[in-house]
Amino acid sequence: MHKEIQIKRYLPEEHAEPFWQTFRVPYDETTSVLGALNYIKEELDSTVSFRWSCRMAICGSCGYMVNGIPKLGCKDFVRNYPAALRIEPLAHFTVERDLMVAMDEFLQHLEAVKPYLIAEPSEPHKPHRQTPAQLAKYKQFANCINCGLCYAACPQFGLNPEFVGPGAIALAHRYNLDSRDQGKAKRMPVLNTHDGVWSCTFVGFCSDVCPKGVDPAAAVNQGKVESAKSMLIQMFRGGA
Amino acid sequence: MAYKPNLQRTWWLQHRFFRAYMLREATVLPLVFLLCSLLAGVYSLTSADAFIAWQGFMAKPWVIVIHTLALLASFYHALTFFQLFPRVMPIRLGDKSVPAVVMIAAQWSGTLTVIALFLWLFGGGL
Ligand code: SF4
Ligand code: FES
Repeated sequence: MHKEIQIKRYLPEEHAEPFWQTFRVPYDETTSVLGALNYIKEELDSTVSFRWSCRMAICGSCGYMVNGIPKLGCKDFVRNYPAALRIEPLAHFTVERDLMVAMDEFLQHLEAVKPYLIAEPSEPHKPHRQTPAQLAKYKQFANCINCGLCYAACPQFGLNPEFVGPGAIALAHRYNLDSRDQGKAKRMPVLNTHDGVWSCTFVGFCSDVCPKGVDPAAAVNQGKVESAKSMLIQMFRGGA
Repeated sequence: MAYKPNLQRTWWLQHRFFRAYMLREATVLPLVFLLCSLLAGVYSLTSADAFIAWQGFMAKPWVIVIHTLALLASFYHALTFFQLFPRVMPIRLGDKSVPAVVMIAAQWSGTLTVIALFLWLFGGGL
């Protein structure tokens, strides 16, 4: 079986503009989109550039638009597409070459929300116990692999790149919900702004495309409840 | 060297999911019309002539069509809202979270109870 695969190429040294190139690729039931791209690179055209590493939906580096929908190349299969495949770089990001985008914007937002445990080491060398119920509160949001598919799905991020965005807010929420963490007061100022949770209009497509079932839209909108609470508290305290 | 495609104004036409989202947001339009009609009704109470004119306006077929649309729109909006609610306000009882279907069913039964109550209160007298 063969399938027609169109790739949106961008080779800035040779062409100022991106262009489409078509390949005919053999496939069977088990051929992933990433597998097809690797076939193209190895057998047909070695100049095609794209990122990947784990090929098991863990590293988060193989995000592309397949027929207009953000997908992980290693988790999506050629057999899912009856007609041809059109593969483009992730939407809403700056494209550096072929299917490779600059993730800087996403990474800056991620850094801004301090996605790590902030805790006073009360008794060093002692394990910090957490009950299964405490773990259950944030576990779903901890599954994020930073693939950025949710950013490519979010029209609000497409319209305003300053929007902190679904993935970063999901991780901020994950640490805010963690019983071991004390960093919420440091994260809320970022989430409280217009470019924080309030840019979200609950389009909800981010949660549909997320390959890890994180439901970032739920995190952002739970974040709105938290943000409203934290702003009210500030108001009554007479703070800023 | 790099490029960044701009989001086109027609982005919401590109995908079924975005069209459903825009439909949800557009439910506000007939509802704003309904609200204006009701406000006009309150103002018309100042004189008998104005009130009779307002009653005439409310009976116009095109007004009834928009108001029916507002009713349907509010049901569609409620449907989407009730579905999203369990994700925004998950409820945990002890170790377990309340299943979304239970919360959605509870919201609909609340709505139906209020509708039934209103029909019982005002339905008979009209
Ligand atoms: S929330 Fe999901 S889609 Fe977004 S970066 Fe994390 S894993 Fe990827
Ligand atoms: S190659 Fe690692 S997520 Fe696809």
